[in-house]
Amino acid sequence: MKISKDEIALPNNLACPGCGASLAMRLALKALGRNTVLVIPACCWTIINGPVGKNYAGVPVFHTAFETTAAVASGIKASFKMQGKDSINVVGWAGDGGTFDIGLQALSGAAERNDDIIYVCYDNEAYMNTGIQRSSATPYFAQTTTTPEGKDRPKKDLMAILAAHYVPYIASVSLAYPQDFTKKFEKAKSIRGFKFIHIFVPCPPGQKFLEDKTIEVAKLAVETGVFPLYEIIDGKYVLSKKPKFTDITEYLKLQGRYKNLTQENIEFLRQSIQKKWEYLNKRFNE
Amino acid sequence: MKKVLGGNDAVSQAVSVCDVEVISAYPITPQTSIIEKIADLIYAKQINAQFIKVESEHSAMAACIGASIAGSRTFTATSSQGLLLMHEVLHWASGARLPIVLANANRAIAPGWNIWAEATDSLSQRDTGWVQLYAANSQEVYDFIIMAFAVAERALFPVMVCLDGFLLTHTKEPVEILEHETVKQLLPKIKRDTLDPANPKAYGALAFPKDYYIIKKGQHLDMLKVLDIFDNVSLEFEKITNRHYNPVEVYPKPDSQYSIVALGTLSQTARLAVDNLRKDDIDVNLVKINMLRPFPQQLLKQLLSDKKLIVVFDRDISHGKSGIVKDEIAGGLDLCNVVGFVGGLGGDKITESTIANAFLDAKNAQIKGLFL
Ligand SMILES: Cc1ncc(C[n+]2csc(CCOP(=O)(O)OP(=O)(O)O)c2C)c(N)n1
Ligand code: SF4
Ligand SMILES: [Mg+2]
Repeated sequence: MKISKDEIALPNNLACPGCGASLAMRLALKALGRNTVLVIPACCWTIINGPVGKNYAGVPVFHTAFETTAAVASGIKASFKMQGKDSINVVGWAGDGGTFDIGLQALSGAAERNDDIIYVCYDNEAYMNTGIQRSSATPYFAQTTTTPEGKDRPKKDLMAILAAHYVPYIASVSLAYPQDFTKKFEKAKSIRGFKFIHIFVPCPPGQKFLEDKTIEVAKLAVETGVFPLYEIIDGKYVLSKKPKFTDITEYLKLQGRYKNLTQENIEFLRQSIQKKWEYLNKRFNE
Repeated sequence: MKKVLGGNDAVSQAVSVCDVEVISAYPITPQTSIIEKIADLIYAKQINAQFIKVESEHSAMAACIGASIAGSRTFTATSSQGLLLMHEVLHWASGARLPIVLANANRAIAPGWNIWAEATDSLSQRDTGWVQLYAANSQEVYDFIIMAFAVAERALFPVMVCLDGFLLTHTKEPVEILEHETVKQLLPKIKRDTLDPANPKAYGALAFPKDYYIIKKGQHLDMLKVLDIFDNVSLEFEKITNRHYNPVEVYPKPDSQYSIVALGTLSQTARLAVDNLRKDDIDVNLVKINMLRPFPQQLLKQLLSDKKLIVVFDRDISHGKSGIVKDEIAGGLDLCNVVGFVGGLGGDKITESTIANAFLDAKNAQIKGLFL
């Protein structure tokens, strides 16, 4: 899988150093190409893309209300269809808050209609733009400013929710595996109908780790089995990368948001990973 | 050609001759038959448009926003709770300067559940930056929808055409309808700034106070220009139809000692009251508001500043203050001789004699309260 040399996203955007969401855009656009328009709701990318007059994404961006990404993208696609500009990739680019929470209804609507858009969720596992509050994508025990005691509920399984919409393509990707990342974006581009791509993005200030550890955190999320890489193609689950199942402590100890975990908590997480993989393996083998 | 149409049918028929490319809507009584008819017309290939059948009004407006920024002529229809659900994205549509047209069937707001006429829904959206037109009969509904597209695209503002639930949406009247080819003259395709991969711009980016201020001030000044744009559209419309509309109409003539002010179907009832009062030699006229935003201040001033008394009738309310139209007139024109009555809420009946009697009470300084 060749990664394009074309740098579409521009340098010096307003992201924090080590921002996974910034790198995710750079990689995604290399696969999507310049014949792309983006819909971006309220999220860190509202800031990253720069103020009036700037557009660090390098392709047209429509900034929109927090919960409207999927519906706006559907509208753009319908318009392009009427104008015979069907070949333009219409891409929703939203955070976990805009996807798992406030935008879920519009997302479900677009998925159920099988609208021909690519919806990308860059998931940094909290509302970072407003200063690190929990979302339903925040994992168990992670500390945020609204869960000072650590979150008491698991991360929502959005991939399964989308699978329940019978859409043609769903995939999870990681910054630590750029070939796999690129392959999946290119596949999404080639399929008609609704496509969903879930990117786990490390966020140094939000998840509390050093800014040179972005790729390491991304890699460990996959290797520990915390963030499985797979596709759901027309309902069929396909494993992309079997993890080594490195012990979760390697992943947790890098991140300040997990600093208060007890041995009991860690054991609980080990078991949840096991359960998750039992559930997924059943589907991979179907 | 004349056709017997209810207000809702008038909306759908008007939309069918306007070359709308993307429609997105969600059902709510009493708007529903608008979008059912549009679905039929698309199925019968009489409208060539994409119809995005969304999961909520919020997404209906969001999808219209998307279609509009991508360059298409777009339409939606809603009512009451649906319009209120759109609130945030109504602001987005106007802030992004998108020429979307929306038909609103004016309906009461729950709780208690009530599907009948009341204008509080759209009047409470008067600060969202939309042009607002209020129709009083099916002909106006039909004409306003067509004119709305012309105004919207020349002014780069979204336009809301309001029609009272049931009283107008479901009351059938003969309507003069237009040929598709005729309407085309009024609605040439106007090139505007839309999403284009060849021109990678960001729309609606982060705006610090200085830029924000420039944007919002410009929006206000441009909105004021809509009054002239409406007049121009109206002249062109008159050429093809012989029907002329002003932002404010007066009946039977401007010159009078007293005025009654109303909008929507309430103005039709008030017109009968004016006829009856004039028969009794009371020198009163009707000032009917067709356009509430932008506020036709000069016109209203011309028509109202010399009156002994102005009595405004509202089928809507701003709780803790007054009827909203009364507030607009008194505040917008800096007048003290304005009396307001609120009535007909939730479809409650108002007759011409209720209006005439209330007017006489006001004239004789015997007002018992706000409510009719
Ligand atoms: C309707 C609405 N509610 C709340 C907000 C405030 N808000 C802006 S961004 C944001 C959180 C975004 O979180 P996420 O989608 O995860 O993106 P991130 O900031 O993490 O990139 C919130 C709560 C808003 N803009 N609109
Ligand atoms: S807070 Fe996190 S996601 Fe947001 S810009 Fe900074 S590093 Fe990126
Ligand atoms: Mg987030």
